[in-house]
Amino acid sequence: MKKIIYILIVLFLLTGTHLTAKDWKVKDIPMVHLQDATRYVVNPEGILSASAVATIDSILFALEQKTGIQTIVAVVSGIDGGDCFEFAYQLGKQNGVGQKQRDNGLVILLSTEERCIQFVTGYGLEGDLPDAICKRIQNRYMNGYFSQNKWNEGMVAGIRAIGQTLDGSMENIDDGDDDEDLTALGIFMLFFLIVIAISFYAVWRASACPNCKKHHIQRLHSNLLYKRNGVKREEVTYICKDCGHTFKRIQESADESYRGPRGGGGIFIGGSGGGFGGGGFSGGSFGGGGFGGGGAGSRF
Amino acid sequence: MKKGIIIIVLLAVLALWGVGQYNGLVKQQESVNTGWSNVENQYQRRADLIPNLVETVKGYAAHERETFEAVVEARSKATSIKVDPENLTPEQLKEFQDAQGAVGSALGRLIAIAENYPDLKANENFKEFQAQLEGIENRIAVARRDFNEVAKGYNTKLRSFPTNIIAGIFNFDARPYFEAAEGSDKAPQVKF
Repeated sequence: MKKIIYILIVLFLLTGTHLTAKDWKVKDIPMVHLQDATRYVVNPEGILSASAVATIDSILFALEQKTGIQTIVAVVSGIDGGDCFEFAYQLGKQNGVGQKQRDNGLVILLSTEERCIQFVTGYGLEGDLPDAICKRIQNRYMNGYFSQNKWNEGMVAGIRAIGQTLDGSMENIDDGDDDEDLTALGIFMLFFLIVIAISFYAVWRASACPNCKKHHIQRLHSNLLYKRNGVKREEVTYICKDCGHTFKRIQESADESYRGPRGGGGIFIGGSGGGFGGGGFSGGSFGGGGFGGGGAGSRF
Repeated sequence: MKKGIIIIVLLAVLALWGVGQYNGLVKQQESVNTGWSNVENQYQRRADLIPNLVETVKGYAAHERETFEAVVEARSKATSIKVDPENLTPEQLKEFQDAQGAVGSALGRLIAIAENYPDLKANENFKEFQAQLEGIENRIAVARRDFNEVAKGYNTKLRSFPTNIIAGIFNFDARPYFEAAEGSDKAPQVKF
């Protein structure tokens, strides 16, 4: 019995060591920001300490509130393919980091096995955070710590520097949503107009004389066929004032004198509540910003 | 009478569809052109960087004449190639790609000589150039890939039925795209 426990413990330790280096794929990186809008750091292996993550999250949350700049910080032990720029670029592109019209996404990738730190900036950030500044931040604040495997210190110092550089660089304009609302409104209006046009056309056609196609018909008299559930059906005789043609039509209409139980009274104008934009209760979202290969990377 | 109306309606629907397809092709063609000009812009940025970079390196490593000349020559050869995206042939694209590839490898050698000159390697200007060059190489890779994507999308649409009928009538031609053969979809590794 003891032996078995022993073997189990050894096996457990072995699997544990297997987990220490993992080659992450871009699509497997969990996007914590989508579950919780206040979180930006993807730290699936716990390489950064909880307090460092909290510090970075608070800096980046303040940054997004002020400027609208959306950031991902990913810290992993290894990446598939080994190309840090490519990985960070795909991470930003596939998740659509950054607001759509402003392309102000920022991806920061630290891979401990490749020993690389990579910034990737969206098109809209290339002016406020140029490559040379990215490189300088890495050289001044990060690479020194990272070369001694001090991941927490390096990352916090680097993110702080980025926050200071970008603070006040742009205003937070909530874009995109307005456009969508307008389009939705436009489609609704168009639909409404079509419905109105169709009903006008139906009325207009009904008022034409079947003989001479002119719209000068007059109601002569009507025969009641039946009344049922508040609907009356009658046979109406019309005469055309132009050609003197008389004709009959069966018509259904609401019976004003009906006092029975009402089935479904009134016209219901459809509610258009909710559903715009979406998004979870506290989950964040990425706007779909574009990347053109800006940013810089260093190896340490 | 009724038959006539049906035929007219069918023709109108067909014409509308044709116009839609045609406009779609024009739009895609335009995005291929935009993609190409983006590629050219990024290469141009790299070319613009070269004179100053060479000057900086010259100050520290004056003996490396051959390396400088190789870079300058490759650059002038590459910038002399003018490509019109509307009539881009695979041969032209190959020529362009080869010339730009030569610039890339000459630049790689230029950067590599810094290893032998510690003063140069420590120079702030030189470091800045390295960072810029790295960024430009990344941008070139992205621009090329984006161009390939739109060109492939356009070509696929051009060849698939029934759009190919419209394309045939109005003489839309397929566009060549970059070959990934020499590992060029990735930025060349400029080791620092």
